[in-house]
Amino acid sequence: MLNLKSLAGAIVATAMSFAPALAQNVTVVTPYLAQPGTQMFVEGFKAEADGMGWNANIVDTAGDVAAVISRIEDAVTQNVDAIVINVDPEQIAAGLEVAREAGIPVIGMDSGVSPLLQANVTSNGYAMAAETSVYVANRISGKGRVVMFVFDPFPPVQIRGVIADAVFGNFPDIEVIDRITPDVQDGGIADSRAKMEAILAANPEPGSISAVWAAWDQPGLGALQAIEAAGREGEGIVIVGIDANPQARDAIAAGGNFEASVAQDFVGIGKATAGVVSRAIKGEEIREDVIYVPTVLITKANVGE
Amino acid sequence: MIRTLKLYGTLIGFVTILVFFSVQLPDTFLTAKNLINITQQISMLAVVACSMTLVMVMGDFDLSVGSMASLAGIVAALLFSMGYPVSVGIAVALLVGVLGGVFNGILVSFFGILPFVATLGTLTMFSGLAFFTSGGKTIFGRDIPATFSGFARSGLQLDQIGLVGLKLPYLSLVALLVLVVVWFILEQTIFGRRLYAIGGNQEAARLAGLKVRTLRLCAFAMTGLGAAIAGLMYASRVASANPTQGSGLMLDAIAAVFLGMTMSEEGEPRVLYSIVGVLILGILDNGLTQMSVDSYIREILVGAIIVTAVAFSSITKQSR
Repeated sequence: MLNLKSLAGAIVATAMSFAPALAQNVTVVTPYLAQPGTQMFVEGFKAEADGMGWNANIVDTAGDVAAVISRIEDAVTQNVDAIVINVDPEQIAAGLEVAREAGIPVIGMDSGVSPLLQANVTSNGYAMAAETSVYVANRISGKGRVVMFVFDPFPPVQIRGVIADAVFGNFPDIEVIDRITPDVQDGGIADSRAKMEAILAANPEPGSISAVWAAWDQPGLGALQAIEAAGREGEGIVIVGIDANPQARDAIAAGGNFEASVAQDFVGIGKATAGVVSRAIKGEEIREDVIYVPTVLITKANVGE
Repeated sequence: MIRTLKLYGTLIGFVTILVFFSVQLPDTFLTAKNLINITQQISMLAVVACSMTLVMVMGDFDLSVGSMASLAGIVAALLFSMGYPVSVGIAVALLVGVLGGVFNGILVSFFGILPFVATLGTLTMFSGLAFFTSGGKTIFGRDIPATFSGFARSGLQLDQIGLVGLKLPYLSLVALLVLVVVWFILEQTIFGRRLYAIGGNQEAARLAGLKVRTLRLCAFAMTGLGAAIAGLMYASRVASANPTQGSGLMLDAIAAVFLGMTMSEEGEPRVLYSIVGVLILGILDNGLTQMSVDSYIREILVGAIIVTAVAFSSITKQSR
């Protein structure tokens, strides 16, 4: 046990020796550090935090949401200068209330809006949907028949559909022939494919479908499979998705019907979060509840970057 | 001397950890507020570890406690979302815990399946049930009544005893209650002594006329109930229910009981020692977070401490 204590001491001392004296202490708590998106948030945040000389402590609770509350309580006890979370604020309200009582600012990194947060830094779902729906409208020269894949029960995806409705509605010659909510139990690809096969069967004339607008990548990928399986990939049907996941990027790079998607700037969200933390530490009043980081339209031209 | 070290090694380690953090964190660690915080943070693990002790005294395991905790939370939350009152949701969730425990008990004692295998199977079953009934989704928001989530945020005001503005969280009180009940069952009843007898030598216990099957069944049922209580506490604390949220509790609970076992002379699980194991794990998490130690280094340290404690106790046992 004595050896163990000195080992613990050595490790702790090493960990602490990197912390500059009187640096700002910022604790980042997330249950999701194993996920690629979260790793990129943290990478961006760390880069900025190191630049500002902060002592940033990244705490991963390995999926345990209750432990996020506990670690926030510990950070409050430690009297850190700010706390950053990457988890649904509603589930950890108990911890956020403790931080509020202690007057410690908490900033959300793609977490959700809550009155207990100073601000949430994320991507603009409205803007992402605008990017892809305008891309479709321009590609088909403002004229044609469009299939939409939406998912209104999930608020972050629902807002994407609202924007696409507005954009397509603003073109008198664009007709939305179907607005489909796929079954997402299987991840969304298989059922979207089945739904698209039915639509293709109902619209057998070549050129009768001009585009597929999907509120996220999976339905677009399902539609692509259906179109290719029906041998109708030569009709120039334009498919777009949102999120630019690896499978969608492959499809875009292949140069087929799946032409575009929108990528969130995960590293940028991490960096912008550090910016908000810096403002909060200085005592600045942050009026925006949500701070958006620009997204990037991914097409064949930039998919390799 | 060696015997003293064997018996008190873990306790010395525990005190060393306390002293270490008190010195490193002079202003924040040994405060009433932080210590009360710790009792709340460890409350769910404490409940699972106490109920795990019930089966571990017989030399058995219950690997399904984590997924039972998740399932209980989901069951309660689903009933809340269907408009049932909080009391009904809690009662049904606890009943599910008992039934799951009875099922484990039947597999182990009547079918004679090794507890490790039987509860590994039910771990998957309960987890699948939690996913199936919830559709894989997290149940939160308006579906969780404020009275239910408010429980985890409230407590007894401690102003009368001089701790102005502090409160003893209800979660800590529930854990304390479970500890007292399990301690009473194991240490003060014939039932408890019989469980220890089974742990000592199952065959001898049977030949001595003990109803080994029924006793094991009862113990597993109680462990299932404890897991469901912990699952409800967890769901209340995070004001939501998710089909995987309890899964981390199982390994930590077994680790805590093992740490506790190193403190007993016969190497048996004792529920008060299990609590010391829980405290060691909880205090390490609390203190190391306050010292800004990387969470992965924290994991390595926790694992190393468990291995060291158990190794220490077995080496000293051999040299005795």
